[in-house]
Amino acid sequence: MPLSSAPKGSVSSIKKITGNDETRRFLSHLGFVEGAAVTVVSETAGNLILKIKASRIAVEKALAKKIFV
Amino acid sequence: MSLKAALAGNPNCGKTTLFNALTGSSQYVGNWPGVTVEKIEGRLKTDKNIILTDLPGIYSLSPYTDDEVVSRNYLIREKPDLIINIIDASNLERNLYLTTQLAELGIPMILALNMTDIVRKNGDIIDVQKLSKHLGCPAVEISALKGTGLKQLTDTVQTALRERPIPTPPLFPQPLEKALSSVWDQKDFPQPPLFSRWLSVKILEGDRKIAEILPIPDEQKTKTAQSARILEKKYGDDIESLISAERYKTIENMLRDCYKRKIRDITVSDRVDSIVTNRWLSLPIFAVIMFSVYFISVTTVGSVATDWTNDVFFGEWIIPGLRNLMESAGTAPWAVSLTVDGIVGGVGAVLGFLPQMFILFLMLSFLEDCGYMTRVAFIMNRFFKKFGLSGKSFIPLLISSGCGVPGIMATKTIENEQNRRMTVITATFIPCGAKLPVIALISGAALGGAWWAAPAVYFTGIAAVACTGIILKKTKPFEGITAPFVMELPPYHWPAPRNLLIHVWERCRSFIVKAGTVIFLACTLIWFLSSFGFDETGFGMTSVEKSLLARTGSILAPLFIPLGFGNWEAAVATVTGLAAKENIVGTFGVLLNRGESGEIDAGLLTAVMNLFPSKAAAFSFLMFNILCAPCFAAIGAIRKQMGNPKWTIFAVAYQTLFAYTVSLIIYQFGRVISGEALSVGTLAAAAAVIVFIYALVRNPETEKRLFSRSRQ
Repeated sequence: MPLSSAPKGSVSSIKKITGNDETRRFLSHLGFVEGAAVTVVSETAGNLILKIKASRIAVEKALAKKIFV
Repeated sequence: MSLKAALAGNPNCGKTTLFNALTGSSQYVGNWPGVTVEKIEGRLKTDKNIILTDLPGIYSLSPYTDDEVVSRNYLIREKPDLIINIIDASNLERNLYLTTQLAELGIPMILALNMTDIVRKNGDIIDVQKLSKHLGCPAVEISALKGTGLKQLTDTVQTALRERPIPTPPLFPQPLEKALSSVWDQKDFPQPPLFSRWLSVKILEGDRKIAEILPIPDEQKTKTAQSARILEKKYGDDIESLISAERYKTIENMLRDCYKRKIRDITVSDRVDSIVTNRWLSLPIFAVIMFSVYFISVTTVGSVATDWTNDVFFGEWIIPGLRNLMESAGTAPWAVSLTVDGIVGGVGAVLGFLPQMFILFLMLSFLEDCGYMTRVAFIMNRFFKKFGLSGKSFIPLLISSGCGVPGIMATKTIENEQNRRMTVITATFIPCGAKLPVIALISGAALGGAWWAAPAVYFTGIAAVACTGIILKKTKPFEGITAPFVMELPPYHWPAPRNLLIHVWERCRSFIVKAGTVIFLACTLIWFLSSFGFDETGFGMTSVEKSLLARTGSILAPLFIPLGFGNWEAAVATVTGLAAKENIVGTFGVLLNRGESGEIDAGLLTAVMNLFPSKAAAFSFLMFNILCAPCFAAIGAIRKQMGNPKWTIFAVAYQTLFAYTVSLIIYQFGRVISGEALSVGTLAAAAAVIVFIYALVRNPETEKRLFSRSRQ
């Protein structure tokens, strides 16, 4: 399912990231790679604050829909 | 010869703090990713032969934004003698991702593990010896903020510059390594060039920009592409994602025996975030905070201090005192007038606002440094997207509340060109520190110190950004998709008082320097122009009304009649504001001193009040000067960021036109509200409102192109 549907507080493992190459590459540098564990820290109208590795990353809704867990 | 060492690391990992500590400089440090957008050089305090370069933060050696390009190009083209890879040890895995890439460059490297105080506090354990061994380069534990471990770091830098430790990048799994080793054809490259391993990875990834650095024969390219396809098939993922994922895996393996991370519950930052980014509360919280900042600094605390400086310190002590002193010493009247009315009157009027500025900067620095502002960028993204900007545009706008020049430079961190241009155009709508004296003077003098004035100017600035976004977004050059918002949020922290004071001091200092240079010159010039002119006796010293300045000002003044401030003093002040916005206050200071022929009893505030027929006229004057073309320094920054004279002219013309329209509407409707009769001006303002609304709601353009001829 897309990360945008993951409930707040849930920890899930990344399966796949779709979307354009530029953004996917940037996300992968930040640690969004297949198999990485990602936690949804907070949700505001579909925009998420995520915890990946030890960092806190904010992503907007449109992007959260492209990360599948 | 000097040796070059470069500071490289992730955004917001403390590079600039370390740079300042090692070189004794005071470069701007902030708690958000992307504070440093240009490389900065300095010499090591302990050894002047070593040049240290602070680079913008990067997540990887594949740049995503313009500031990241600066860093990569520096490392590749300048080939520093040593890379000091600074690592945020409290976020070890992610930071090592860049480290493994830097290690592939083959440039001597050392690791500086920063924020080790936080690691210890968190209860995590890093075996630095083992980590250093894994990566084949020395590692030092430091805390740049607390200043610990710096001696050991500089010693290590010295040793490393002699011994040149080349790091050993961790190996990928066998199939990947095999593909990498086949990249260099013995025939074409008998000796692999510098950066060979990093280049191999890039070539295997199919990075197109690599051709700029090294031309690869076509035959070689096809061969490498083939092995990439084989790998993709084997792993079921595209080659770039594959390499990123494998890189993270090698880091995980490496850390297994040298890093123990304590499991943590919800942190304080998480808890704060759930409140300040809450769907309903986030905007009210932000509005209340910004309202308080401007209310406190301009209206309450700041105004008390400023009134005292203006009215008592300068008004009662310095100016009359100096005048008496000079007159009793027998100084020529013109020299007394130049010194007292011109220089002290003008520069003093500007300096009088220093207390307000100090308080404003202190509060803004606190907000920036604690980590709140990145959250606002996130909150704002939702709205900014609607008017063609990204949440990332918020950071440049925020910096512009201090000064527009760094604000405009900070647009480098915005990925999308249209977004970037739009942010450059709108950045100076946010009132900067230099505009603060103008706001304080006009709101104090003509608006009777109204509590709402200063916050209203700030929020009008934000509204101007929003409207501009909506209007321009509908034009062809600005259409397009904004890059998706992804941003790292730093943990919240209490700003170190020392850092806060350095920020505030730097800003106040540049304000004082400006008062002593640009404003000093401008005030002297204004004094001359307002003292000399043609009258019945020919050219010579004359009354203000007959001066050259009054005559030139009177030519310009009619332009501003529809806006309610068609007198020559206001016209001249507006023009002098282009050199520096504080000049508006300085000019009033000189003119009013001259006009009263030395009688100070009325005070600056009262004198300014007499210039404007009504509150609406005063507010219109204020808004025009806030929104119109910024000072020359900011226009220069716009030119630099736009990289194109047409765009620069467009930006400045747009700002001025926008300001004119807004002021027209404010003044003309203000008149009607206060009970005056309708006039041609009212009609014009009504027409402006209609055009304005049309520009906001019309359908997006698809055919017409602005500057179509300049584009291929």
